[in-house]
Order: sequence, then structure tokens, then C-alpha cells
Amino acid sequence: MESEEWESYPSAFIEGKDLKKDLNSEYHTDQDKGALVSLDTILPDDLLEKILSFLSIVGIIRSGSVCKRWNDAVQRYKHTKMVPQKPWYFMFTCGEEAVAGYSYDPSLKKWYNFNFPCIEKSNWSISFSYGLVCLMDSENKSRVFVCNPITKHRRKLPYAPGGNSPDYSALAISVDKECHNYTIVVAKCGQVPEEHHLWNISIHIYFSESDEWFDPFNETLVGWRGCDDCVICDGVLYYLLYSSGYVGHIASRHCLAMYDLSTRPGHFSLMNTAIPAPCTLTCGRLMNLRDRVILVGGIGKQDRPGVIKGIGIWELRDKKEWCEVARMPQKFFQGFGELDEVFASSGCDDLIYIQSYGSPALLTFDVSQKLWKWTVRSPVSKRFPLQLFTGFCFEPRLEIAS
Amino acid sequence: MATTGASDGASAAKKEGLVTLMSGDGEIFEVEAAAVAALSVTIRHAIEEGFGDRPIPLPIVGARALALAVEYCRKHHSLGGGAGEDSAAYDDELRAFDHNLAKVDRDTLFDLIEAANYLEIEGLLNLMCRTVAEMMKGKSVEELRRTFDVSNDYTPEEEEEVRREVSWALD
Repeated sequence: MESEEWESYPSAFIEGKDLKKDLNSEYHTDQDKGALVSLDTILPDDLLEKILSFLSIVGIIRSGSVCKRWNDAVQRYKHTKMVPQKPWYFMFTCGEEAVAGYSYDPSLKKWYNFNFPCIEKSNWSISFSYGLVCLMDSENKSRVFVCNPITKHRRKLPYAPGGNSPDYSALAISVDKECHNYTIVVAKCGQVPEEHHLWNISIHIYFSESDEWFDPFNETLVGWRGCDDCVICDGVLYYLLYSSGYVGHIASRHCLAMYDLSTRPGHFSLMNTAIPAPCTLTCGRLMNLRDRVILVGGIGKQDRPGVIKGIGIWELRDKKEWCEVARMPQKFFQGFGELDEVFASSGCDDLIYIQSYGSPALLTFDVSQKLWKWTVRSPVSKRFPLQLFTGFCFEPRLEIAS
Repeated sequence: MATTGASDGASAAKKEGLVTLMSGDGEIFEVEAAAVAALSVTIRHAIEEGFGDRPIPLPIVGARALALAVEYCRKHHSLGGGAGEDSAAYDDELRAFDHNLAKVDRDTLFDLIEAANYLEIEGLLNLMCRTVAEMMKGKSVEELRRTFDVSNDYTPEEEEEVRREVSWALD
């Protein structure tokens, strides 16, 4: 029985290994290593895959370059449901030149020189969900792409309806974690000609399953227009609107409207679902953190809405009210830059990234631990005073293709 | 040590709840059946199949790894199994125990992975695989090959092909 057991163990690997060692002169130079057992010879494939499951995405990628057998294990592991990874942040310079930047990996606290697929200009709209990033051309808002930035797999979608150059547009993607189908929403908003207070809003939905766009909804709003930000959470589109009309002493010029993507009603008013933003808002960004709708924004001064006195994070509760999650502590806010600074924010899972346009410093907020922290210094450097930076985060995943 | 509930196999309770294990290199271990049966699927099945009276042969598990695996089972059984105890304190003690166990040298680590896999002790297997992953953290491809003594079987052309797409991650 004993010898049978031994034989059933992967002796082929051991023999193959020894043969290779003889042929590989490198091993003869390392005499002291002769007694060591190679990880390769003792680990069956399933254990190699188990070890991969404890690695960060970069560790998995590197393992694939070690040898053929490890690469096979990586390829197999890619088809399993991978362990969630912390979101990365891609940072780049705003400007006319081609987008080139660095990605920050919070697991290894490292920045990687990273060619992001698809993106041609720094002002393109971005949305991300479960390993995929959706991008919309800023010049022609019918051009929409989906890519996996880690595998570089990319796809251009059929042209999105609703016109190439609306005044405002917002983009959101939501990936089904189980079947990897995805839904993309483009919300477009344009002023009705010669009617200052009337805005046409249309919602366009793309389903990857049928590879088609649908136009289930449009409405003319009075005194409100769409902003450039929306997010999908649990089958509902959350869309920021902005009051374009008369401004009295109202607390907020922003509100949040909701549209149910599963029932896709054609006849109703977005304003019926709208709830006011928690304060006078600048740079408001919506994000989906573990199926919770989170809003990050600058808190404007009542009398001078363009000047911010702080940066807040709120959670939407029961689709009705905002509940403050955190406010950026003064020492970070001061280190963050000017008070009229505009900033980018992006987040998923438990992590929110906040970055001032004026500086390549990157601040993180861990929602579960309530912890603010600067990331290690980014290799993106400020070369001239007016250089601006921006970025967005994404989930690094190997198993999903666009 | 209580043996109740450890196994449906009644023979497990013989010899005052002890069971005999024999390592691949012939060493004999007398251990509490309840503790090992609770954590090792392989030993539980062996006991259920009536091995309770005879030494259970564990051909691919060496004595050193078996001793550590048994220690793991005892510790986790005695601390993890006690209902109604102050679980936070036990968690800390177990964590400290696991942490120490993971500090073994590389060869023992691999032996323990083999042992945990063969004995089907899921917690120990996860602990050891996690330890290997921890050793891999931040290492370059060359460092990984050196650390784990894996030879590069790519031809230079194949290797270039594999590395090209992911060169950003390899620095």
C-alpha cells in the first residue's frame, strides 16, 4: 500500500524535474540548494491554485511567468471565481496629449507604469464595475468602449443613440458578477433650443447579452439638468441633477434622481424620485460601495458655493435620506490643496480615493475602518505649475473579458 | 478528553479515546481520537472504517510533519471546540498558535502542506498555503524561481511572449 501511494503521487514531476536539473547548468552552480525540495515537485495542481487564491493580482501575474506549469495553474485559476481584490487607482495628467499614467495597487502599495487601453483623452467619461472599465469619448458621445485594463481585453460597442454632442452626459456600467453580462447606461442631456430652463434628458441602456441599445426613457425637465455623473446600484440608476433655474436660498442646487433599470418605466418624471443633495455640493461623485450608494463631494460655503470648507462622504439610506459617513479631517483637507480646488474621487468595495486636480497626491479613505491615509508617493510628478491631474479607480480582475 | 460527538464510528472511543497513527517513516503516534477526527477528514474516515483498533498508516506523511499536524488538531480542537467560552480570547490564542506554526522552515512548510492535504485538515492547509503566498509577496519572477527552486522551462522566445503583455507587473 505504501509504495502504491508513493507511486500515485506525482513522481513524473520529480523525475522530469531531475532530468531538467541535469540539463540546466544553473543548478550545478547552486550546490547548496541540491538538498532542497522544489515547491514545484511536491505541490499538486489544485494546491498551486489554492496558493494563487491568496495572492494579489500582481503576484498571480508574476507566477504565470515563472514556468509553464505555474502558468497553466494561473490560466485555470483565472476561470474560477477569483478572490476579490482591492480597487486600484489610475492617475494621469489632464491635457491634450495621449493619456499616460500610473496605476496604484493598494495591496502591495506600489505604482505601476501602466498603458490604459482605449482611453484617448483625459476628459473621457469613465465608469467601472467588477473588473471592467467603460469609457465614452468626450468629443463623440456615441463612441463607447469596454475593456479589462489588466488583461487589456477591449471592445468597441455599437454606437450609442441620443446624439454625439449633448450638453451633458453621464456614464455607468454594472457587471453581473455571476454570468459576467453587463449593462451600460448613457444619460444624455441637452438644452431645448431657445428655452433656457428646459432640458431634454434621455436614458440609453446597453445590454451586453443582446449587444443592443435601448431608449426606454426621455423627459423634458424644467429648471433642472443632468450632471456628468451617475452610478448603478442594485439595478437602479442614480443620476445627479443640477438646478439651472432661479437660485434662492436653497440649501442645495443638486439633487439625486433614480431610475429603475429592471422595470424601465417610460412614463414618469425623474423629479418625482429626486431627493436633494446633503449640502451645497462641488465635484459631487456617486459610487457603488458594496451595493451602497455613496456620494463624495466638496461642501460649499453658503454664500460662495465655489469655495469649499470641507469634503464629505455620505451614504444614501432607503433611497430617501443622506447619512454622513465621514468628513475629511482638517489636517488632510489642508494638505489637500486650495479651498477652491476641484478634485476627483472614485471608489469601490471599502475604499475611496480622493485626489486634488492640482497635485498628484492621493488620499484614501477606508470606509469600514474609517481610516484616512495618503498613499505612497506617486511617480506622476508636477512639472509645471498649472499641470492638472485626475484619475479613477477600477477593480483588477483577470477572469472577466469585455 | 471527551470523545463524544467526534465521530459516528463507535470504535473511535476504544483505548480510552486514543487512536494510533503511523507515519510514513514508521513512527507511531497515540493521539486523542476526538481531536484528530474532528479536524482531519482522512483520519475520521479511517476511524469510521474500523481502523480504531489498529495503527492507521499515513504513508506520505513524515513523522515531523505528523507531529505538527497532530499538535494543530489538538490545539484547534481544545480551543475552537469549547462552546460558550470567551471566544475572543480563544481566537487570540489560536491566532498566536497559527502564527508560530507558520514560522517553520521552508522544507517543513512544504511537508506540512503535503500532510494537511493528505490528512484533509482544511484549516492547516489554508494556513500553510497562505504562508507560501506570504513568502511570494512582492517577489520578482527570478526571486520566485530561486525561493521555490523552480526551473524556468520556457524557451527564451516563449518567455518573452509570456512577459510582453504583463511587463508592467514584472518590475
